[in-house]
Amino acid sequence: METMIAVEGARKYYRVAKRGKGLTAAVGQLFNRKYEIKKAVDDISFSIKRGEIVGFIGPNGAGKSTTIKMLSGILYPDAGRVEADGFIPYKQRKQYVKNIGVVFGQKSQLNWDLPLIESFELMKFIYRIPREQYEKNLRQFCELLDMESFLGQPVRQLSLGQRMRGDIVAALLHSPELVFLDEPTIGLDVVAKEKIREFIRYMNKERNTTIIFTTHDMQDIEKVCNRLIIIDKGKKIYDGSIEEIKDRYTNVKTIEVLLENGGKETETFDVRRTSVNAVLERIFAERRVKDISVCEPEIDEIIRDIYEGRLRLDAPSAEGGAL
Amino acid sequence: MRAYLEIAVRKFQDKMAYRLDFFMGIVNTAITIVVYLCIYRALYAGASEVDGITYRMVATNFVITLGLSNAFGYNEMFLQDKVHDGSITNEFLKPVSFTLRLLAENVGEGAFKLIFHFLPALLFTLLHTRLCPPKSALHLLAMLGSVALGYLILWLLSFIIQTWSFWLFSVWGIITIKNVLVSILAGTLLPMWFMPAALRRVIACTPFESIYFTPVRIYLGELDGAQLLSGVAVQTAWIAVLGLAAWIFWRRGVKKLVVQGG
Repeated sequence: METMIAVEGARKYYRVAKRGKGLTAAVGQLFNRKYEIKKAVDDISFSIKRGEIVGFIGPNGAGKSTTIKMLSGILYPDAGRVEADGFIPYKQRKQYVKNIGVVFGQKSQLNWDLPLIESFELMKFIYRIPREQYEKNLRQFCELLDMESFLGQPVRQLSLGQRMRGDIVAALLHSPELVFLDEPTIGLDVVAKEKIREFIRYMNKERNTTIIFTTHDMQDIEKVCNRLIIIDKGKKIYDGSIEEIKDRYTNVKTIEVLLENGGKETETFDVRRTSVNAVLERIFAERRVKDISVCEPEIDEIIRDIYEGRLRLDAPSAEGGAL
Repeated sequence: MRAYLEIAVRKFQDKMAYRLDFFMGIVNTAITIVVYLCIYRALYAGASEVDGITYRMVATNFVITLGLSNAFGYNEMFLQDKVHDGSITNEFLKPVSFTLRLLAENVGEGAFKLIFHFLPALLFTLLHTRLCPPKSALHLLAMLGSVALGYLILWLLSFIIQTWSFWLFSVWGIITIKNVLVSILAGTLLPMWFMPAALRRVIACTPFESIYFTPVRIYLGELDGAQLLSGVAVQTAWIAVLGLAAWIFWRRGVKKLVVQGG
């Protein structure tokens, strides 16, 4: 498959003014300001093929948005190479942006006071979308996202979920081949989230759109992405499938036992060190068991442990004892 | 080109969404004009002319300059707000020029206010005050063209200062100073005719005279023939100079842009 995005050794450092505490420091920094270097993105490399859906995750401030901004051409990398769709985004921005779509979940691009449909119409002119294509896309997207009922309403009166759907449609009307979604499900309810996920999957499957999206919701990743990139402190710490990450940690099991007297007990262990037999025998010998269930760690828990540094991805044999 | 026209049209529609704002705009423009006319009627105290300038000329000057300056106002904190909250970057994700887009929006808003604030206020003024007619239909036409050039000068002045928000934390103070300067030096407080000669010579070297006063003089026929053309030429020259400055500041600002947050 053709490469859509190639990032090599990309780096972005910010210079932030350092502030001390108290009045003296506040006065002092008027004259002698000290700066601190914040490494937002620190030597990241990856490549993405046409037609992939890649989820970017990482704790707040990990460098996800900075990476997206470099990829969408609105931020110069300090070092390294960034290429997307055959362009160097930050150098050929005007050409490049014609063929991409971007949604920032936290910042709407819609016209606040006008009916939603007016913002869509404007996209037609901005991207010079042929009438036929525009109408076909609009009809199809509206149907998929169930938006007919509020097309005529001013954006300021829409609910967050409706507005987000509007933002996504506005960014995709010109049929871009590469789409960046920065937290497109933030703050939405389960139903709205599911709609958006379905839509993303559809765009990828039916139109072979390459999609990159960031989220804090692991459900998004599990249901939509076929690949996961985890970034932390400006560095890439994982790049691979979700199954792989799960496989690495499914050695850790939790057995939950419901006792006959109504009590509940859990036992977490690593199957490579403790045999399942031994654990079960011990439980059965000591307790009167009413019900038993074996749980594998949820992806949420795994990710949390990765963020908190309790799991290390570079060592597949790491012990998941923390669970 | 079509995209910018559509942007302007949408801003025009946008403004119609708020009914109270719509009516208050008319009242505001009408009151400003009436207050100034009352002051100057008192100052004239029955005299037919002062320094060769009739009360009617003064009234005409105020209706045009105050009406236009009310119509030409817009949110000058726009760029600063966008730079501060980081949403300026969203603007770069569309295949349109941000500068032209901003101009189109401001023009759309200006057109709305001209039609729905200025015209009703003008009609209201005509009920109680007699104004000078344009010297000829041709002068009126030339004046309208000159108003458009004046608008561009005003817009560029504002835009240049707005671009400074890439470097400064707040440009609000500078914008306020600029607006005070414009209202004094462009003749919206005191008609240009009554300025001390020395000051007028200074103003003649600045873009301020070209904003409202050139259109007023064309309308009244004070600028005619070669003078009219040179007045328009001066306006055009200022647009070129300010446009170049705006372009330089904008380019440098964008280059420096480091998005906050994220």
